[in-house]
Amino acid sequence: MRSTDYDVIVVGAGFGGPVAAKRCAEAGLSTLMLERASTPGQKVISSCTIPFYGFLFGPRWIRDGEPPIERPISGIRNFFVRDGKVYKTDNSFRVPGPLAPRGAIGYTVYCRPFCTWLAERAVEAGAELRTSVTAVDVIREGNAVRGVVTDRGEELRCGIVIDAEGVQNLLARKAGIRGTYRPEAIELCLLYDFKMAKQDIDRVCGYQIEYYWAMPEEEMIAPLGQGSAVYIFPYRESIHMTIGRFLKAEEGVPQLAKLLDGYYEKFFQVDRWREMYAPRAELRARIWDTCPIYAGLYEDMRSMPTFGDGMLLIGDAAGLEAAAIADGVPSAWFSAEIAAETAIEAMRAGDTSASFLSRYDRGLRGHPLIPALISDTHRRDLARARLSGSEAEMRRRVNQGWGIRLLGHLALPVLRAVYREMRRDPRVLKGWLDMFNRYYRLYA
Amino acid sequence: MEEIRKHEDIPGVEWVPAPRPFISVDASRCTGCGDCLRVCLAGVFRLRDKKAEVAGLDRCMECASCLFICEAGAVDFNWPAQGTGYRSEWG
Repeated sequence: MRSTDYDVIVVGAGFGGPVAAKRCAEAGLSTLMLERASTPGQKVISSCTIPFYGFLFGPRWIRDGEPPIERPISGIRNFFVRDGKVYKTDNSFRVPGPLAPRGAIGYTVYCRPFCTWLAERAVEAGAELRTSVTAVDVIREGNAVRGVVTDRGEELRCGIVIDAEGVQNLLARKAGIRGTYRPEAIELCLLYDFKMAKQDIDRVCGYQIEYYWAMPEEEMIAPLGQGSAVYIFPYRESIHMTIGRFLKAEEGVPQLAKLLDGYYEKFFQVDRWREMYAPRAELRARIWDTCPIYAGLYEDMRSMPTFGDGMLLIGDAAGLEAAAIADGVPSAWFSAEIAAETAIEAMRAGDTSASFLSRYDRGLRGHPLIPALISDTHRRDLARARLSGSEAEMRRRVNQGWGIRLLGHLALPVLRAVYREMRRDPRVLKGWLDMFNRYYRLYA
Repeated sequence: MEEIRKHEDIPGVEWVPAPRPFISVDASRCTGCGDCLRVCLAGVFRLRDKKAEVAGLDRCMECASCLFICEAGAVDFNWPAQGTGYRSEWG
């Protein structure tokens, strides 16, 4: 058995891991990234529209770089379906015409090229990347984590383990830091990827993501409030489509394969799909994964630790999902940067104890966006619309969550983040504008 | 040369067979409730003598739904070793 020493070992090269690894390596820490897939991002599944605030307030090098984005997104179109027909549309949340799609509310990405790009930047900064290696356990001394054990039987010792493993949380459980997510807070998403010609996408959905809503009796989506809509995300020359369902809800544990296939079957009969998409879209992939949802709304989950002696958890591994719009990437980036700063300070101070690392948790709680993102309730509140049995109530709730009234609860945290960045460096404004322009050029 | 498997019903995904099973059910804990069968889209589990067991991991997408759902804590979920298991360019 070989024994190796690093200052920091980052477990997982998904969206968060490389951000933490790059910062640690730049600060001169010897940093190892372990990735269980043979290529970063090949085991990451998302219907990924990364929201603008991830790029604006996340790592500066992503903002100033040329990441492999697929398509800028400049708005949300909500379609309401009854009897297999779209009967109403709410597209009130969108960037005003002349500014779109340069002014984007987010960007769609494929996980494999994007995570690979992130990991390459971390390696350039001096981090070591080992792929096809899984951390199967932690090395413990008393309560302290002192490294990881790999699936090859190696014991790799380090000062701090940064756990970016994702929602499954196997390592944090082994370390005794966190329990498993409860099934009521986990959505299983079945995702379809279709090839489609760019000009067809430009014409059919352009730069807007599409959400399809229906009352429960339509049997097209999970009962409202449980992952809810059918989503279509436009990519450069493809579309991603996803339907999700809680693993467990009040109704018990459903036969998920049958249920999700049934939802798709219903949706493929909706007039807009049949007329606009079906003749032009060619199925390329059918994949699924679990994602955390509403975890921040359960007291027992919110109170689970985000760190332990010698170990920091980031992103989904730390319960930092985004109940607001179900995208955990920004929180993974924010938490990765805070974790890296904490690790750097800890290694300099020679103190990796839980009491020293507790400043990480304070950093998360003091962040202008993270607490707001994990505690947002409007998505869950859609369940009330289901109980009310009123379509008008459903449309009102959808408008609150994905229409113009979204600004009501997103604006304040975003403005707080803008204020913080501007106070640090007023030139940040130019960086943001440059980013929107550069990203648009990358796409076009 | 690694062995790659595909399934027609799951396009866009490849599997490299794992060197050893990475999910198992502890029969002494399993209550036979069948929840793991209900949530698994890959048909990994089957019931035999009122206990769940792993029927085959060849379609497993490592989502861990079985781990999340098992109240009895009978499902032992691990990652397939050494870069094996599923992979996709389209996630």
